[in-house]
Amino acid sequence: MSLTLDLYLPGRSWLHRLDPRVKLWATGLGLATAFVLRDWPALAGFLVGLHLLLKSSGLSWRRLGTIWRQVALLAGLIFLLQPWFAPAGRLLVAWGPLQLTTGGLASGAVLALRALCMAFTMAVLLFTTEQRALVLALVRLGLPYSWGLTLSLTLRFLPALFSLFTTVREAQAARGWVAEGAFWQRARDYIPVVVAVIIGTLRLSDQLTLALAARGLEGSARRTVWRDLRMRPVDWAVLVGVTALFAGVLLGVWRGAL
Amino acid sequence: MNTVRLTATLEATGLRFTYPPPGAGWSAPAVLRDVTLHLDAGESLAVLGASSSGKSTLCHVLAGLAPRYTGGTLAGTVHLAGHDPAAGPLPSGLVGLLFQEAAAQLFTTTVEDEIAWGLEALAAPPAEIGPRVDEALARFGLETLRSCPPWALSGGQQKRLALAAIWVMRPALFLLDEPLDGLDPAGQTEVAAALESLRQGGTTLLVTTPGLPAARLTARAALLEEGTLTAPEPTAALLAQEERLVATGLLFPAAHWPDLRGQPPLEGPPAVEVRNLRFHYPDGPEILRGLDLTILQGQFVALVGVNGAGKTTLVRHFNGLLRPSSGSVTILGQPTAGRPIGALARQVGFLFQRPEQQLFAPTVREEVSYGPQRLRLPDVETRVARALARFNLEPVAALPPAVLSYGLRRAVTLAALAALETPILVLDEPTTGLDGYGWAQLLHWLAERRAAGVTLIVVTHEPALAACADRLIAMEAGQVIYDGPPAESAQPSAISHQPSALSGQPPAAGYRSPAHEPDA
Repeated sequence: MSLTLDLYLPGRSWLHRLDPRVKLWATGLGLATAFVLRDWPALAGFLVGLHLLLKSSGLSWRRLGTIWRQVALLAGLIFLLQPWFAPAGRLLVAWGPLQLTTGGLASGAVLALRALCMAFTMAVLLFTTEQRALVLALVRLGLPYSWGLTLSLTLRFLPALFSLFTTVREAQAARGWVAEGAFWQRARDYIPVVVAVIIGTLRLSDQLTLALAARGLEGSARRTVWRDLRMRPVDWAVLVGVTALFAGVLLGVWRGAL
Repeated sequence: MNTVRLTATLEATGLRFTYPPPGAGWSAPAVLRDVTLHLDAGESLAVLGASSSGKSTLCHVLAGLAPRYTGGTLAGTVHLAGHDPAAGPLPSGLVGLLFQEAAAQLFTTTVEDEIAWGLEALAAPPAEIGPRVDEALARFGLETLRSCPPWALSGGQQKRLALAAIWVMRPALFLLDEPLDGLDPAGQTEVAAALESLRQGGTTLLVTTPGLPAARLTARAALLEEGTLTAPEPTAALLAQEERLVATGLLFPAAHWPDLRGQPPLEGPPAVEVRNLRFHYPDGPEILRGLDLTILQGQFVALVGVNGAGKTTLVRHFNGLLRPSSGSVTILGQPTAGRPIGALARQVGFLFQRPEQQLFAPTVREEVSYGPQRLRLPDVETRVARALARFNLEPVAALPPAVLSYGLRRAVTLAALAALETPILVLDEPTTGLDGYGWAQLLHWLAERRAAGVTLIVVTHEPALAACADRLIAMEAGQVIYDGPPAESAQPSAISHQPSALSGQPPAAGYRSPAHEPDA
């Protein structure tokens, strides 16, 4: 069993080469756009745009399908449940106290599309940006190096801890461990597994402290950076472009056009 | 660049080191008692020691990590290329330390970033880093893996990457803590070849090891016993003194082994019966491809094969951790289908790889009684008492397993298994990480179980252990390629894959010529 937090798909597209700081900024604006848009046709348009963007990064249809499979359930649930809680507009169906209305349906569609837009905005960032570039971008934007290191260590060691968890659980299952019964009973059954994993984590973190020190973490006050980030003219152009686009969206929303 | 590195010499005199006690009311004995050693530039020295003899601690002290990061007290003097680790942090990159556990020292997300990390810490000019990373990738045969995440590599590849990440910093001294132990034979061969080429290139090496293969890579060797280091002597001469190695717990020669052979199979249904077993993980490739096996009660079966052959996957079907994709597995006449792991655990005792990592209970006694209690076996008290007595664990029964030495923790894992008193035992690479004492403890117990009619199924990379079995099953790519007496196995590819380092031959050259070593 494996767990990976890395969604990055290697590639050489313009999105892959774009400065990660610009991508972080654009992602922020993308998430904000998903929030400020209030009509479902505008959100649907935004979603189509995000798909075109992902296609331009060389993402296969199959991979797009995988993202859809992972977010469809959530979006579907939002779309199906939300209308009953926000009745507005023309009544379509009434079932006891529950009412399905045109306004409710529209609000369900808006919320579901908003969730999809946010998921696909994040997908654009995570599928085209290496973890190291992402962490480096955050450090270059002012995050202290030690925080950036902690972030990448977390990304690096969570899979290791997950596999330790699996190993320990299996080993204990072979000695009769089983999680069964009511919630509290099951939670209690997990204690031995969790204890073994915590011991393993502490041991790992001791080792890691030594390994980092052995490779010169203490001298990090004046670290250099291999393949440091550098803004090219095209990065500036994209930065200005997405910012202008976002300003346009805000203006459109304010004027009631979107 | 620091010119002081050209005078690489290690001088340690009368080292004595004690860790801080684990808590109030505890006392901690000295881990290093008397260590004196001298190493000139370009020399190589092996420090041979059994588990808990102080090998890792010695490495940490020499690298300036202990007591700085571990706490504790250090007496004696160390001089490393003119620096005193006790006086202040050593200049970055002066000492390169290869940790016992390779995975714990790889902390970036790609192979090339791992190598670059140390250069960044040394504040190397960014323009120089790329070429030096390329050089290191080529030097350790990692070019094709440069964009891989380190955790996706094999054990041998991880060690080579860790070596590359150290080598690129051009340390004056390489400290290698158990560089070959815990690796499969293919990984041992790879890493031994890399170390051999470093040594030939004139790198100053200090290798600590419980096993003899790693020692053979050095010119001189010394014994570390309970924190005391003997005077170094030529490695070949030291390794020839078998009695001394046995007395130090480094060796348990086959001539001393208990009799593991010759029990006739018992009557009754077969212990394990496998029919047309196929297995694949969801969406994964087929790992087991139509296996048929009958293992009789009382048989001792050795299961061999290269990594990825499907050995572990197969034995995991015997206690229900995995279920067949198709086909069937029958244990003592009852199909495993529909029977929970808990029910199977009463019949099949299972020792996992790295069992010492799975200990969790607050005391040794609770650790050993966990299985019998969970499985609601009769006479829990008696079983636990018997198991503790068998492994001489009564004196530590009230202590937490985590504070015990490595050797004792391994004993606890065996006692926990013994307390289940199952008619079938499956052991997955049980000798990994064991020193001579550990081997002796394991083999004597297995011989007793054998005599008691227990069925033994042992997954192993050790040819000598496999040779003791009644029957050897060799697997390759999810299929059985040999099944018969070990002597007639005619060295199937699966077990002939013995590392050259184990036979004392110089490892095959597979790396760049070490004609020019910048750190020579």
